[in-house]
Amino acid sequence: MLNYIIRRLLFLPIVLVAVTFFVFLTTAFLSPYQQLATHVKDPDELRRYAGNLDALVTKYGLDQPFYVRYWNWLKNLVRGDLGWSESANMSVVEALTKRLPATIELALFAVIPVIMGGVILGQTAAMNHNKPLDHGIRIFAIVGWSLPDFVFGLLFLMYFYGALRWFPPGRLSVWADQIVMSSSFVRYTGMNTIDAILNGEWQVFLDALRHLVGPVITLAYLWWAFILRITRSSMLDVLNKDHVRTARAKGLPERKVVTRHVRRNALIPVATVAGSMVIGLLGGVVIVETVFDFKGVGMLIAQGAQQLDYTLVLGTTLFFGLLMVLGNLVVDILYAVIDPRVRLE
Amino acid sequence: MKTKLFAVVVAVMVVFAATAYAATDPDTFVFVTFGQPDTLDPAECYDTASGEIIHQIYDNLIAYEGSSLDVLIPMLATEVPSVENGLISEDGTIVKFPIREGVKFHNGEVLTPEDVEYTFERNLLADPMGGPQLMFYEPLFGVHSLAQLVAKLGGPDSFESVEDLDAEIVRKVYEAVDAAIEVDGNYVVFKLAAPYGPFLNILAKGGSWGSILCKSWMIENGAWDGQPDTWPKYYQNAKESLAAYDKENGCGPFKLVTWDKATGQIILERFDDYWREPAKLARVVIKYIDEDSTRQLMLKTGEADAVVVNAQFLDQVRGIPGVEIVENLPRIANSVLIFNFNFPVEGNEAIVGSGKLDGNGVPSDFFADVHVRRAFNYAFDYAAYIEDVAMGLGFKPYGAAHQVLPFIDKDIPWYDFDPDAAAEEFKKAFGGELWEKGFKLTLLYNSGNTQRMTAAQMLEYVIESINPKFQIDVQGMEWATYLDKLTTGSLPAFFMGWAMDFPDIHNFYVPFLHSKGTFAEPCMREFAKENFDALVEAGISATDPEERAAIYRELQQKVKDLAPCLFYYDAVDHRVHRDWVKGFVFNPAFSCNYDFYTVWKEVN
Repeated sequence: MLNYIIRRLLFLPIVLVAVTFFVFLTTAFLSPYQQLATHVKDPDELRRYAGNLDALVTKYGLDQPFYVRYWNWLKNLVRGDLGWSESANMSVVEALTKRLPATIELALFAVIPVIMGGVILGQTAAMNHNKPLDHGIRIFAIVGWSLPDFVFGLLFLMYFYGALRWFPPGRLSVWADQIVMSSSFVRYTGMNTIDAILNGEWQVFLDALRHLVGPVITLAYLWWAFILRITRSSMLDVLNKDHVRTARAKGLPERKVVTRHVRRNALIPVATVAGSMVIGLLGGVVIVETVFDFKGVGMLIAQGAQQLDYTLVLGTTLFFGLLMVLGNLVVDILYAVIDPRVRLE
Repeated sequence: MKTKLFAVVVAVMVVFAATAYAATDPDTFVFVTFGQPDTLDPAECYDTASGEIIHQIYDNLIAYEGSSLDVLIPMLATEVPSVENGLISEDGTIVKFPIREGVKFHNGEVLTPEDVEYTFERNLLADPMGGPQLMFYEPLFGVHSLAQLVAKLGGPDSFESVEDLDAEIVRKVYEAVDAAIEVDGNYVVFKLAAPYGPFLNILAKGGSWGSILCKSWMIENGAWDGQPDTWPKYYQNAKESLAAYDKENGCGPFKLVTWDKATGQIILERFDDYWREPAKLARVVIKYIDEDSTRQLMLKTGEADAVVVNAQFLDQVRGIPGVEIVENLPRIANSVLIFNFNFPVEGNEAIVGSGKLDGNGVPSDFFADVHVRRAFNYAFDYAAYIEDVAMGLGFKPYGAAHQVLPFIDKDIPWYDFDPDAAAEEFKKAFGGELWEKGFKLTLLYNSGNTQRMTAAQMLEYVIESINPKFQIDVQGMEWATYLDKLTTGSLPAFFMGWAMDFPDIHNFYVPFLHSKGTFAEPCMREFAKENFDALVEAGISATDPEERAAIYRELQQKVKDLAPCLFYYDAVDHRVHRDWVKGFVFNPAFSCNYDFYTVWKEVN
């Protein structure tokens, strides 16, 4: 096991450099003037040099060969400098730092309903294979998969906020915002629910939770079909295995057969998919965040892309590239823990 | 197990439902709009999003009475100067303000005449690019910027960097500015270069540029230290580095608690030591949400007390119980597509394509061709816009200035929608080359402004249907970025509006037509100097109304002939708020949607 982890860790730097290289490669399609924003830290510098960008191009070595520019960019990267975002009106690192807690919070709260819901539905469908319940669940999930997220999100808002006033958009209500922004409220993580607990503000916690319900349900409904299909087919596969037949022959009750001998084995592929899903959620969910005015990284990316903010798009792409690499490493290691066969390979 | 899970879910839903609907807080006003402020520093602020906040946290020397544009009342000054009360000299060039005593700034310091003097001197010497200081340079010095003042005082006609100026001219500039605004006992005295009719209007509340700053606090926070030789260090600094960019110490009715740029929210709190009665509202929360549907839902549920609803969506909020729409407010503002006669191609490729006249872009002098400009003016469907986008609320303009202002000649109409005439003009442009090769261009608007987006899309549709080789894209941009790019002259063609600073036609002609104007300087400086400057300056210098009328008639005709911009809409305004909102006062001179000092909530 240790060997496997070491082997994976040794590959990590190579993969990371490859990610940075491919991300930087995309800037090769930009003119030196468009690349400027990824190097200039002081926005006023761009304004002052508006009529004389050539001087800035020379200053930042953007007239140099590709490998020199790449090396300079890597040096900036190591210093934690991803450039200035015009659409966010702050540095890319600052923008990411400020928006990431919201996205992490949404991902954390979405993971359990998405996976549990998907697994329960998949298991129920498999156990009722080809029966009306199986068909019903599959239709329900496929409708979710097929429905555009902004449509479901808007319908949800119209009914549960516009009509019932239960689950509002945004991250907090106005009164809760005032508590959170007061000097007595300590910001530990930037995640409203966790900070509210740590500050003992239970009303704020409940309010933050209320604001999470809409985006979480929308995300869950979108993902259930995916998890359901994998769980269902995996369970159907395991249900026909010899060890399950043996367990039944031993006279074990069906519930125990499923929980002890079927579900655990059937969840291995689900774990892999769930890992990738969590990484995807951390990368920000553009549409859901936008519809629910949940100001996380997804909304930031959408804003940057709409306004052709190359620096922001490059910075966030790089960030999520790295997140994906590290996330996949964690998933692979966990997978090896769950399934010993992986280690043997 | 399943029953337990179901019970837990139901219990959670019940808790949510029970806590969900909290009645609106009568002390807190929630206003939801789009487009965050550019800056909170009155020296630089020259846009309505920033003015919205500055209006609440600062006070001016004088103010308009209610909705009036004619009646001025004292504010931080104890009297409104006039020739009759001896505070304006007989020749109209000396204006004195007696300063109110006992007024406190938000940090508890007491207002002095030195604060007032410092405010105007600091702002004049900082003269931020694209800022409002030209409004003071003109009456005080007969020029439009610090750079022009330098030239007037014997310095170079232009300079790359203020560091290049020698010490003597630096001192002379300071002395001129210092002499123009003096403290005399408890009075602050302005010495004008010549009589200037709208001078008091420029200083009145509603214009963020007249906001009074606290000298000691400003210096503590890194602003100009008041010394004669140090001002160049503070000249045209980056907006983010200005002392009052995102913090304040005004003496207005509200204090700034926080401006969270990442989540788009500003919180203001009542200033209990305000020199008048404290405001009725304890807090004001301003949220910035680009999604129109979200803003409308927040209004409907009562979570927002007032929201910005673009005119084409007004029908969607009409009839919602508890929602009040105040329509046909006489706002003196217009909407314009501004052409840049010499935009940069470098760094702008995403917007201007190849930068050449090859069908894949536009050259930097694309709009320098009068036929292109006229063609765009003919290609806009004014009637459809007013009917379907502005929902009938507004008028087709007669040119650069809003039609309700004096000296507009209604016998000189603006262009009509005529695609055939547009095609003819396009055929003449660039000696026929444009028609042959076509072009590709992106029109820009500020994100969230769906009316401007629709105007751009209307042009896109018509122009692309005139010649299939013509390609137009439409793109939104965040307000602060938009303003930055505007002032540096980087935008080729962009939608903008101008809301009146003071009630005079001159206030519209300077920004659009004068070479030192907010839009004309970055977009057509030389062209404006050659064609419009003399007439604009003659117009404000003339005192005889008939003479002014003749000058402005000539100017209006010239603007029509040369079509420097596409003036497409003279606005009227509206507000949408809950019916518990009381005390709303509209004044066309305000750069804010609401003066929260007068507002309160009457919630049952």
